[in-house]
Amino acid sequence: MPDNFNHSPEGFISANKEIDVNQVMEAVKNRIRERKESGILKQSEIDDIANMELTPLPDFLEIPDIYQPHLYPGTNIQEASSTPFVPLAFHPESETAPGWRGIGKKILGKTRKVLFPLVRFMTRPIFNELKQLNVDLYNDVASKISQNTHDTDYYKRLSVQGKEYIKLMHNALNNLIVELSKLRIEMELTKSKLKTAEDKIEFLENRERAVEKKIFTQPDAHREP
Amino acid sequence: MNIHQVLTSFSYGDAIGNETLEIRNFLREKGYGSEIFALLYHPVYAGQIINYLEYDRYSDPNNIIIFHFSIGSPVTEKFLNVPDRKVIIYHNITPYEYFLDYHRVLAKDCYLGRQELKRLTGKVELALGDSGYNENELKESGFLRTGVLPLVMNFKKFDNPVTPVLKELFDDGKTNILCVGRVIPNKKVEDVVRVFYCYQKYFNPGSRLFIVGEPRGFDRYYEALRSFISRIGVKNVHFSGHIPEEELISYYRLSHLYLHMSEHEGFCAPIPESYYLDIPVIAFNAAAVEETMNNGGILLNKKDFTATAALMDQILTDSSLKEKILRSQREALKKYSQDRTGQVLLDYLIDLKQQGGVQNVEQ
Repeated sequence: MPDNFNHSPEGFISANKEIDVNQVMEAVKNRIRERKESGILKQSEIDDIANMELTPLPDFLEIPDIYQPHLYPGTNIQEASSTPFVPLAFHPESETAPGWRGIGKKILGKTRKVLFPLVRFMTRPIFNELKQLNVDLYNDVASKISQNTHDTDYYKRLSVQGKEYIKLMHNALNNLIVELSKLRIEMELTKSKLKTAEDKIEFLENRERAVEKKIFTQPDAHREP
Repeated sequence: MNIHQVLTSFSYGDAIGNETLEIRNFLREKGYGSEIFALLYHPVYAGQIINYLEYDRYSDPNNIIIFHFSIGSPVTEKFLNVPDRKVIIYHNITPYEYFLDYHRVLAKDCYLGRQELKRLTGKVELALGDSGYNENELKESGFLRTGVLPLVMNFKKFDNPVTPVLKELFDDGKTNILCVGRVIPNKKVEDVVRVFYCYQKYFNPGSRLFIVGEPRGFDRYYEALRSFISRIGVKNVHFSGHIPEEELISYYRLSHLYLHMSEHEGFCAPIPESYYLDIPVIAFNAAAVEETMNNGGILLNKKDFTATAALMDQILTDSSLKEKILRSQREALKKYSQDRTGQVLLDYLIDLKQQGGVQNVEQ
């Protein structure tokens, strides 16, 4: 380990004993003080730059599998949500709406009551037809259900298949998200590479000009004496 | 006796790769047969590097095999299974936490590297660190025979002149600040940018920052860095990317000051390289940096961006201070002369050969 270093009092720099680090640090402080007094150097700016972090693009391996905790509970790598699933409750609109709207509804109801025999007379054929249709539908469904209720395996299989399809669908969605995220990262990296390539082309153009200048403006420069 | 070297990755322009080449050339000059084996290597070296799986053809109990250890890989297993006498040169492993947000594979390899280091304990005859810091880690891991081998550095290549085109582009009166190294999270390039922001805004608007290093493999870090630069609105930041050696030398030669804010370094080769080219160095004191500085340059013990910027301005405007710093750096550089380092390695190996196996090696 070096033993000949001279350390500044604040410990900011070390240098060879031949160099007076106190004097160097005094000069450094004076320079900073001068810039501060003249208003060129603002401490807030320095702090901003010092605290500014690099913001790298995310690593696509870090994209979490958002469906896994729910689809495969117990096998998930990530922590599943601590709150259990709560189904959304349906709150139908109140039957009796308050205010003027409620009064209007009451009046309409009474009017309909008065006109009901007439309406019933007018709509009876349609009503009968609908009623018959409902009965037919009910009979149809009921007969199909009665035919299949004994085949429970079929329903179990359907249920398992359905669940698996849902899992597959969610996995496919997750993969789609991962792939899209990767594409986004690739796009950003390609943009950055394009910018680098632009800079390089600009630099190469400058080199080309410098070469041309050397060759053409000083025609004897490349010739042997 | 042949002395071969094996390593995980041989990158172009990488300090470990350069050292491996320098060691091979030095050993060959001294008359030893020496080859390099690697798992991954840059195509430039295709004729010079042999795949590590072919080592069996070269293996011999009288040979010495040197493993440059810096990361976890299958090479460790291979190294452990050959009958040759085993030596490791430990270049340190970056703590994996730095890579977690940016490169999970490398984070894993770094983590495994630490585990593999423990596995090597008791299986190698000599464990060398390229700094005292690394040697301490080896001792803590349980290696009994340890030593320090300063990174073998060939400074001759730095005698080349500046590339004329780069001179035309960047030798324009602006003050050039340099930071060399891969653009990876532990190097804290964002802190270099923060200091440069303060320097450019409050002290020298006519300044430029060179960030010379490979960003590939850390695309998200690089993207975040570029976005950070555009958010704070700092101008004239030039990312060179990976460049050939002659251009690297040009960037050094065109720079007025070297700034290093890395938080983990097993050695930090750009520091002695800057010393060699007479560029004043300011570096943050982390891991092996203080030792590599070797009493040269200016060592920062705290990260204060404004004060560092003011210090840069002070060095670049006060010629007597700059001269004192350069003098201290020239003095510090003596530690890194190639002949000395190559000879140190050879002395270790000759000593190993004469003494035979050591007791901590499991037979």
